[in-house]
Amino acid sequence: MKIRFWGVRGSIPAPGPETNRYGGNTACVSITTATGGLVIIDMGTGLMHLGNSLLASEFARGQGRASILLSHTHWDHIQGLGFFPPVFINGNQFTLWGPGGSDGVLESILEGQMDPNFSPLQTLKNFSANFEVRAVRSGASFDAEGLTVTAREHDHGAAKALSFRIEEHGKTFVYASDVGYPESGPPAEAIAHYANADVLLHDTTYRPEEQATRRNRGFSSYEEAITAALAANVKRLVTFHYDQDYTDDDVDAIIVKCRELATPHGLEIVPAREGDELVV
Amino acid sequence: MKVRFWGVRGSIPVPGRATNRYGGNTSCVEVRPRSGSPIIIDAGTGIRRLGKSLMDEAFGEGKGSAAILISHTHWDHVQGLPFFSPLYRAGNQVEIFARQRDLHLEAVFSQQHDAPYFPVPLSAMHARTGFHEIIEGSTFQIGDAQVTSARLNHPWIALAYRIEVDGASVVYCADTAPFTDLLLGQEFVHSPTMELTPAIRAELAAMRAGVVALARNADLLIYDTQFTPAEYTVRPHWGHSRPDDALEIAREAKVKQVALFHHAPMRSDDENDLILAQYRQVVIDAHDPFTIVSAYEGLEIMLGDT
Repeated sequence: MKIRFWGVRGSIPAPGPETNRYGGNTACVSITTATGGLVIIDMGTGLMHLGNSLLASEFARGQGRASILLSHTHWDHIQGLGFFPPVFINGNQFTLWGPGGSDGVLESILEGQMDPNFSPLQTLKNFSANFEVRAVRSGASFDAEGLTVTAREHDHGAAKALSFRIEEHGKTFVYASDVGYPESGPPAEAIAHYANADVLLHDTTYRPEEQATRRNRGFSSYEEAITAALAANVKRLVTFHYDQDYTDDDVDAIIVKCRELATPHGLEIVPAREGDELVV
Repeated sequence: MKVRFWGVRGSIPVPGRATNRYGGNTSCVEVRPRSGSPIIIDAGTGIRRLGKSLMDEAFGEGKGSAAILISHTHWDHVQGLPFFSPLYRAGNQVEIFARQRDLHLEAVFSQQHDAPYFPVPLSAMHARTGFHEIIEGSTFQIGDAQVTSARLNHPWIALAYRIEVDGASVVYCADTAPFTDLLLGQEFVHSPTMELTPAIRAELAAMRAGVVALARNADLLIYDTQFTPAEYTVRPHWGHSRPDDALEIAREAKVKQVALFHHAPMRSDDENDLILAQYRQVVIDAHDPFTIVSAYEGLEIMLGDT
């Protein structure tokens, strides 16, 4: 699996020189499988740039297909969809897997995003590509472009989101963004979901000092991410979903702190940066 | 009055090195009368930073009041509202104005804030909010300022605004297509071809006349110039204009200054520089009596008595 980061920011895009190095686009990650298949995780503003890059491939000719894994439907995780050029090319095929309980409910949420009050597209029906929407239940496993994916529902403040355990040829990548734990720490079910992953991408929205007053928002501090990664015996931890107010220098300082905490335990820290790639 | 640009981008925010100078935040312009509260036009992602700066003033103590004029509720023009800090502070007053539709304005904004799209419902905001539905062409007062609106040629319909205060006037004209090739409204226009019946031509002419009248003798005309002429040719149904259209309206309305605005998401700073240089030359060659700027984040323009 080759992972690429297209958007690593939380909550709202954060343009400006102070976010140039880590990037200001909201969540979007792509996985290229061993056989060249494409799996996309989350549809933040990074998705537009992934889509533009796909116009140099079979997606430009309407011969592309991809699976999309959606953690949840907050705006920062779906905003890129209407700006993803491959959905406007006839012949392309997409299967989106996400929360919502039923296919119909999930599709109606995405339909609400395209509501004419908010979007000139007015309806998903104006997509030219084939766009199939499939609701995933917590604990369910399914095949996405040859990868075995297991979804787990977790708390995200008052809402819920899905984390995805993704396996290919004995290698495991876990995507766990927008995760809020109780003060007692990550529950055993979460640790089991991350267990022995080669790479765990985990929400690190906050520093511990911000988390102290914002736990109700349903995000993790970098300390909590490291606690989870160590408990789950993972090899590499990817920091992700940086708060929109953090500058590159702030994130640099967070990475230094993360390495101080993680390195003595043999846990490698990989900071997610727009444009970076990572092979699992 | 002072006019300050907090977001100048169209369609979707675009962080990155290519937009550092003009800025990647979507539409938000602050109009600050010499005395009195800010009048904010549009609530794109630029309003987040404006909100933070307002918290250094009376808003931080829960004693601020602001008006927000919304051109239309497409996502790039409202996305920042849930991140506007003054809304979360009790005692502040935020009045939101937008065009009347079938669905009540408050319901439209509630939809934006509701699960499953956002974690904090509008009803949980601590500030007092008021929703004011306006009809195109109407005139109303906000403090000492007089505000007039006009309909624009955009999918689902947008409004232009003129604000007059301190002996000066600013006109905000985004988002709009030119008034020549097709009429945009409630219907989804799938392809750029459309038959222009005499009735449609008349409606477009009336809309154009309304915009010229709104902009008449304005000190500053802020205009949607998302497209180059070549881009417009293939996307006339997207509801955006070219700099040529802005200059044409400016000439006819005898404005004093034009600001190119609502830059296309993939337009780099260098491309924006070239477009500005090109149209500056056009203005010089035509001996136009107005000046032209290209809006960038942080640009401040003082108008009238200051």
